[in-house]
Amino acid sequence: MLEIKNLMVFFENALAINDLSLEVHRGKIVGVLGSNSAGKTTLMNTISGLIIDMKKKEDRKGGERITVLGEIRFEGEDITDTKPSERVKKGIVLSRERHPVFPDSTVEENLKIATYLRKDPQIKKSFEFVYTVFPRLKELRKRKAGFCSGGEQQMLAIGMALMTKPRLLLMDEPLLGLSPAMQQDLIRAIKEIREEGVTILVTEQFARPLLPIIDRGYVIENGTLILTGTGKELMDNPEVKAAYFGL
Amino acid sequence: MTTSILVYGLVNSVILALIAMGFSLTFGISGVANFAYGGFYLLSGYLTWMLLNYLGLPFALAMLITVAVAGLLGFLTYWVILLRVRGIALSEVIATFALGAGMLEFFRWMGFVTYEFTLPCFMKGRVEIFGVPLDYQRLFIIGIGLALVIFLYFFTHHTRIGLSFRGIAQNERTAISLGIESDWTAALSLALGSAMAAVAAIAILPLGIISINVGYDVLLIAVAVGIIGGLESVPGILIGSLILGYAQVITGMYLAPEWMMVVYLAAIVLVLAIKPSGLFGKFKELEERV
Repeated sequence: MLEIKNLMVFFENALAINDLSLEVHRGKIVGVLGSNSAGKTTLMNTISGLIIDMKKKEDRKGGERITVLGEIRFEGEDITDTKPSERVKKGIVLSRERHPVFPDSTVEENLKIATYLRKDPQIKKSFEFVYTVFPRLKELRKRKAGFCSGGEQQMLAIGMALMTKPRLLLMDEPLLGLSPAMQQDLIRAIKEIREEGVTILVTEQFARPLLPIIDRGYVIENGTLILTGTGKELMDNPEVKAAYFGL
Repeated sequence: MTTSILVYGLVNSVILALIAMGFSLTFGISGVANFAYGGFYLLSGYLTWMLLNYLGLPFALAMLITVAVAGLLGFLTYWVILLRVRGIALSEVIATFALGAGMLEFFRWMGFVTYEFTLPCFMKGRVEIFGVPLDYQRLFIIGIGLALVIFLYFFTHHTRIGLSFRGIAQNERTAISLGIESDWTAALSLALGSAMAAVAAIAILPLGIISINVGYDVLLIAVAVGIIGGLESVPGILIGSLILGYAQVITGMYLAPEWMMVVYLAAIVLVLAIKPSGLFGKFKELEERV
């Protein structure tokens, strides 16, 4: 479904992603694991096309030079240079890290804003789906998003991504900063979303809660892929244990 | 005396709010401080005048065409002029200010400076409110101000484009990641802001003659109200207008009318010195922008 070949991303002369290749197959949950500044967010921004927008804006004001090399294919089609809105139309959507929602709008309005590109009549169904996966959001739908807790905002951020009716959902560190109970609830939600036929690519720093549900994981360090395997293989790998479980 | 201060202060406040709203809306959504705002305002006045006097169009039609043309010009301003300097706040201000001054001076060059340039009132006549005589045009201005606030509320809460405006205004990158286009939205925000300048012009200009200086004054008003209330906040604009509107009327009555313009400038200096983001504003970099 998603194929990344020899991806390299530079900010000025700093290499953020180094010759990275990975594949995501339809219906799977794929994890990208790595510590802080390993390149996870840059990778997500590159797949979602946000980096194309950032590059355009930096170029305009003569700011930081951003270079993207390599190839990103979605369903066989080269999307390396397409803008984010085109990718959302094709079914790729990113739920950004640290749950950035629209704080002055209500939960329901946040979800509505996310349907911007949709012209099909099934928006109501998407609302129902989001409220089934995250019943808490339904209770909070009249509350301003800025007044919701971190966990609730995280649910909302994912809910917003779901409102675009994605085929590939990118989640950047969805578990960051959440309580263990909240993490477990999100893990359940991620499984439910997959069961609905959405393919998932998720990044995480602390892999422990995530490893049991991922079909394949990629471990990256300083923008370089250092290890890959199924969730189980990674769980049993002593290096991963030491680096990411703190064991 | 007190009642007339109350009534005329309110009218004056609504006038200021009408003038400031378009400017602040554009800034709130796209971060563009559209310093060509006065140019758009005056262009709308002259355009309506030309449509009425050269083409003999009915007033309602002339108004509609003017609002549409102003909107279109705002839209084009973004793609043709602003796109190249987008993100460099100072260049945005300089480019739009030059454009606005160019528009205003163009009309001066055309010789649009005599007393014949006036727009008709919607309806002639007056009423008395608490013993204070008030003409219908000023009543209409209050009505239009109210209608515009209600329209804006509905537009930004219940339409797809309006919701996308709020998305971009609150968190641009998240909005982009959901498929909303920032350039497109910014261009539309300029279009809407300019169209609102046209609405304000058509409502307010019948109170006096259309003169070039009005264009510069309007920009000053928009900036002053925005700075006091906080540029991106609608309640801020309304309260900023009320403060300035009443302060002006009181100054005009107790001091002298020529001090009324000083009120804006004093208010700008005071607010920037004490609370630079405005009474209700959130933008910390406001003082850098304006």
